[in-house]
Amino acid sequence: MTATLVFILLQTLLLLALAPLITGVIKHWKARLQNRRGPRPWQFYFDLLKYLRKDMVVSEHASWIFTAAPRVVFITSLVAGLMVPMALVPAPLSRFGDALALIGVLALGRFFLALAGLDTATTFGGMGSSREVTLSAIAEPALLLAVFTVAITTGSTDLSHMSLGTQADVWKMLDPAHVMAFAALFIVLLTETGRIPVDNPATHLELTMIHEAMILEYSGRQLALMEWGASIKQLVLMSLLVNVFFPPGIAIEATPAALAAGGLLYLGKLLGLALAVVVVETTNAKLRLFRVPDLLSAAFALATLALLSTFLFQ
Amino acid sequence: MNLLPSLMPMLDAVRERFEDRLDAVVAPRANEVYFHAHPDLVAGFCAYLYKAWDARLTGVFADDAVAEAGVFHLYYVYTLDAAGGFFILRVPVPPNRPEFTSLTNAVHAVNWQEREIQDMFGLKLIGHPNARRCALHDDWPEVHPLRKDFDLRAPMPPFQGERHKFRQVEGDGVFQVPVGPVHAGVIEPGHFLFSVAGEPVLYLQLRLFYTHKGTEKLFESLPITHGVRLAESISGDSSFAHATAFCHAVERACEVDAPPRARALRTVCLELERLYNHIGDIGAICTDVAFATANMHAMRLKDRVMRLNEHLTGNRLLKGMARLGGVRFDWAEDQLEPLRRLPGQLRPEFDSLMELIADSTGTRDRLERTGTLKPETARNFGVVGIAGRASGFNHDLRRDIPHAFYDQTQFKVPVFTEGDVLRRLEVRRVEVGESLSIIRQTLERLPAGPVFVPIDEVPAGRVALGYVEGWRGEIYHWIRTAPGNRLARCKIKDPSLQNWPALSEAILGNIIPDFPVVNKSFNLSYSGTDR
Repeated sequence: MTATLVFILLQTLLLLALAPLITGVIKHWKARLQNRRGPRPWQFYFDLLKYLRKDMVVSEHASWIFTAAPRVVFITSLVAGLMVPMALVPAPLSRFGDALALIGVLALGRFFLALAGLDTATTFGGMGSSREVTLSAIAEPALLLAVFTVAITTGSTDLSHMSLGTQADVWKMLDPAHVMAFAALFIVLLTETGRIPVDNPATHLELTMIHEAMILEYSGRQLALMEWGASIKQLVLMSLLVNVFFPPGIAIEATPAALAAGGLLYLGKLLGLALAVVVVETTNAKLRLFRVPDLLSAAFALATLALLSTFLFQ
Repeated sequence: MNLLPSLMPMLDAVRERFEDRLDAVVAPRANEVYFHAHPDLVAGFCAYLYKAWDARLTGVFADDAVAEAGVFHLYYVYTLDAAGGFFILRVPVPPNRPEFTSLTNAVHAVNWQEREIQDMFGLKLIGHPNARRCALHDDWPEVHPLRKDFDLRAPMPPFQGERHKFRQVEGDGVFQVPVGPVHAGVIEPGHFLFSVAGEPVLYLQLRLFYTHKGTEKLFESLPITHGVRLAESISGDSSFAHATAFCHAVERACEVDAPPRARALRTVCLELERLYNHIGDIGAICTDVAFATANMHAMRLKDRVMRLNEHLTGNRLLKGMARLGGVRFDWAEDQLEPLRRLPGQLRPEFDSLMELIADSTGTRDRLERTGTLKPETARNFGVVGIAGRASGFNHDLRRDIPHAFYDQTQFKVPVFTEGDVLRRLEVRRVEVGESLSIIRQTLERLPAGPVFVPIDEVPAGRVALGYVEGWRGEIYHWIRTAPGNRLARCKIKDPSLQNWPALSEAILGNIIPDFPVVNKSFNLSYSGTDR
């Protein structure tokens, strides 16, 4: 019991500490690929600290939803993070929830985020919410199907079990179904984290925003929670990709040696994935908003094919 | 009268047609003819010039000549591109009946200009389809700042009254999206009200003139020599073009020609201004579709041009270089050397930047068929400059009515008919190449001699039109001189004023997230419009 609690605590700390680094590294690498010096990789920590210290400006028209949303977004991201194995399997909350619960918890966060965008009835918030919900309606099924592909192969929707199952049979990682599901999930990752070609995290043009438009009204502590929550959600989805699809090296026992090796490998895999995101973001322009569903449909089609081929070839 | 031969047939034809109705015909300059007539002639004169001679009505403005002539004068400037000259109709408006008949129903392009006259001079518009306030906002008191009896330093009461009523668009699921006047970037204020059904835009209403600085009034209170510095501040990204247009007007009023070397240096500076703006815009268009890599390269190249500007003139924006009668500084050999190297150095890098953009299919997909301005719309709105040329409106003062050194250089003017964002980018791409070529040609036969003729005394009572093809489009400065080296009137016509209304047309049917890139492809100046 105590061990579980310690484990939960440690993974929470890891989520809180590691997420801003990944966000910062992506920003830093993007700048380097664009021939800029850019912010230092750890700049995002200072940004969060700055937001936490600042006063908040809250619209007089805001309801309780506006205040609740940042907490919900932050906490759902953290809870989702505890269901995904990071450096060690099983994940601390693996008994509590499987892949379905994970997607549900993330959807709850998004639901509140979209509500918060609408709550203050500003020009851009509503636009952002409407776009976010439209795109999620396609991205979420793709995410589900992609995860199911691995779930069927390994015989469980429990993420830790899936991770172990894939690790046990390394050659399965070259299975076309596995590869297609990974590709689908990568597109979902770009969508869910608001990256080019779907959304542009670096823009100041409100009319083009999706995720940023919803949090435009936030400031101070609430903004910190929103930004930190989004960052954690990104880490969760990236962990899902690297640990469920490429689990080799993940620590199975909580021994210092295994944890150190597993942790380092995990970090390496995360950075590799971050590099892929950076390359996609640097070499692509943003899609026209009405073309984004095409991209997401491609992800959905890939995931469907992956699922079908699992049945066909087994 | 020493008139340009190509203008003779038109002058004869106009005389024949309106003979008894013209009070006077004056040609102070070879390509600038004034017709003095009764206000009844305005519509007929306009129709005749448009139909018979393919003229463009490029400027409508008023002048308070009550002190001298007992009336207000209205001026209608027609640009005759094919013949290389200007016909200017002048009609009186008596102060006891301050009204004039609108031409907007016939020539849509003068809509804002006519309303500006109404605001600034209190001359009432008759027959205008939408005669509401334009330059002065609705909550301004009933004053007419450009009348001579309005004191520049007159303290104004706090503005009260009704705010601007925006037009309502109704329908199922139609929403209004107000954007501005304060924007997220470090840009100037302008209010955009979109009426949207979902993402597609049904209607866009613009509300500008938030930064009215009274520039035209200010010119009347300054000695003419100081006017050059003021002209530089009309629109920051066109400081040299505006200052040169002003100098050009004053020089024409004094019947002085800038020496050849000065004209050559002016040409180089105008092209440098074009270069840094075009390259910057190409990058900015890429930023707006989130292709930041291309923008970073564009910024690098833009800054190289701006550093060269500083090396040549001491200012990155070429401020301080213009002066009456020529340019302020001559360039020494060590300054000319990097300028000579510029075309050879910039061209390959610029080409590789354009290749980077062309290879990005995502960027092309975003730009093609976005923000289309149809040629007939462009014609109706009298759209000038880059936006005009991308929509088949084939005009360029550098080629048609050459000023500075342009008559001695060869260059091509890119014209497209599709009128989308991609074509506005393409116009810029071709023009960057041509600019480099113009700079090279000018330097190859750079004349020797002085770089200015001193202009100490400007004769009073003269009128003159100065014109320059700036990077954004054609810029006109019209002046009437007063005794004591002062101006009685300086009318500034920035291309932005002409092009803004066309933006509302270009965005129709597009989706809201595409607006920033469409707007950027026009890249119009707020300050030049508001003045």
